[in-house]
Amino acid sequence: MALFSPKPVSPRLERLRALSLFVNLTPRELQIVDGLLHERDYLKDEVIFDEGEEGQAIYIVLEGTVLICRQGRPVEGRIAELGTGTFFGDLALLDNAPRVAQARAATACRLAVFFRADFLGLLETHALIASKISLQLARHIGIRLREATLGARQDQHL
Amino acid sequence: MNTFRNGSGPVVWTGIVAATCLLLLVLQKILWLVVPFLLALILYYFLYPPVQQLVFRGLSRDAAAAWVTGAFLVVLGACGALMVPWVATQVVDWQAGVERYVTGGLKLLERSLWAMEARWSMLANARFAETAMGKLNHSMGGLNEHLEPIAMGIMAWTPSLLLAPFLAFFLLRDGRRFKRFLGRAVPNAFFEKTLYLLHEVDLTSRAYFQGLIKLTILDTVTLALGLWILGIPGPLALGLACAVLAWVPYVGSILGGLLVVLVAATDFPDQPAMAYWTIGLFILVRLLDDFVYMPLTIGKSLHMHPLVTVLMIFAGGAVAGISGLMLVLPLLGVVMVVGETIGKVVTDPRLMARHRHARALRRRQASADLV
Repeated sequence: MALFSPKPVSPRLERLRALSLFVNLTPRELQIVDGLLHERDYLKDEVIFDEGEEGQAIYIVLEGTVLICRQGRPVEGRIAELGTGTFFGDLALLDNAPRVAQARAATACRLAVFFRADFLGLLETHALIASKISLQLARHIGIRLREATLGARQDQHL
Repeated sequence: MNTFRNGSGPVVWTGIVAATCLLLLVLQKILWLVVPFLLALILYYFLYPPVQQLVFRGLSRDAAAAWVTGAFLVVLGACGALMVPWVATQVVDWQAGVERYVTGGLKLLERSLWAMEARWSMLANARFAETAMGKLNHSMGGLNEHLEPIAMGIMAWTPSLLLAPFLAFFLLRDGRRFKRFLGRAVPNAFFEKTLYLLHEVDLTSRAYFQGLIKLTILDTVTLALGLWILGIPGPLALGLACAVLAWVPYVGSILGGLLVVLVAATDFPDQPAMAYWTIGLFILVRLLDDFVYMPLTIGKSLHMHPLVTVLMIFAGGAVAGISGLMLVLPLLGVVMVVGETIGKVVTDPRLMARHRHARALRRRQASADLV
């Protein structure tokens, strides 16, 4: 029976599956995506990227909090504060347009970085995984668009 | 990609050319490692798609790399085992064939020299043909003496060439880990740019080796077509042999040209014009290769201007001889990407300021309880 029972998922993969971007991926697919992610640690107040910088990657918050704000105005230019499980810089997955806001570490945080070239590679080699991620990304952008149109809450961004 | 490359000034380019020449000087001292590494890279790009397929079907990367490399070695071994009896039976024929073609070439040369003497009395007075043929026959008489160092050279190179599949296996298995390992060593401020750099290096290498394969096909087809029109036997095999020899710029081309002329001179002993036509065809194909095909395939794949490609080939030959000719383009491609990226990073005041800020934060954190 053990042969047919589902393979146990490691805590790390469970944590990845909890992220909205990867929620539809199977354990095997998560393992492939996990091999593409880079982990980075940031100290409080460290700049993650600047407004106007060419975007090459999407960032996923694994631990801590990230502040999204207007360039150099963390207090009066505050746009949003993102906690564990959220992601930002998502438009960089679609093109290399300049970042529309600055991202800074609001607390010491750990981020997973998903490089655009790796995502584009997935589109060619693992189309199913890429399409699942793309769908989640489209949903996320759709929610933001709806909120922006209705002028509702602005805690999602970029 | 192109926006990233804009703005590299003359200082960065001088650095890129100087670094390439310096690396060529160093690398020619460790050819025993460089050659298997290049072969391993070709193998890596060849075996990468099946490894990816196996990974997607649920195998771990380690297992997929082991299976694919193992299967490749088994196929290679099986081909070798099948070829050995055939090679053993053909060796005697090949030896006779080589002697026949060398003799044919010598006869053509002798006829040409006598014809030159008949036309220019100065050469006849100097007994040019007799002297030249005497020296040539003397050196060819010891042909067997040349075989021993060649055989010894092959034996000395074999162990390092056997490194290639092992290097390819580790590249397939650990390439991604190595990339992440390199990425971890880079400060946060430069991280995105570095990811981009590593990706570009990968793209450049892939484009170079794919360009090399395209160039070989173009050379083979053009030369085979010309030889077929002239009526030389085995045009496709000769074209392919010459195209593969041309992987070594200039020297390989000379060897290829010699091969074609020997065949023409031997198979058409009464038509010396055929050999001259073959020489003309070969020179034409070489010119096409150097000034049209190579810039369009390898040069284009490396995003280099054709003039830079041609000048760097000459520079590579001048700096490091035959190995320099072979290595200069792939090396220049990699150095170009690294140099342009470093140039971008160190001349970006904002990135440098962010890096200094991050260092100050880390210092402050490390000494927080030391007040």
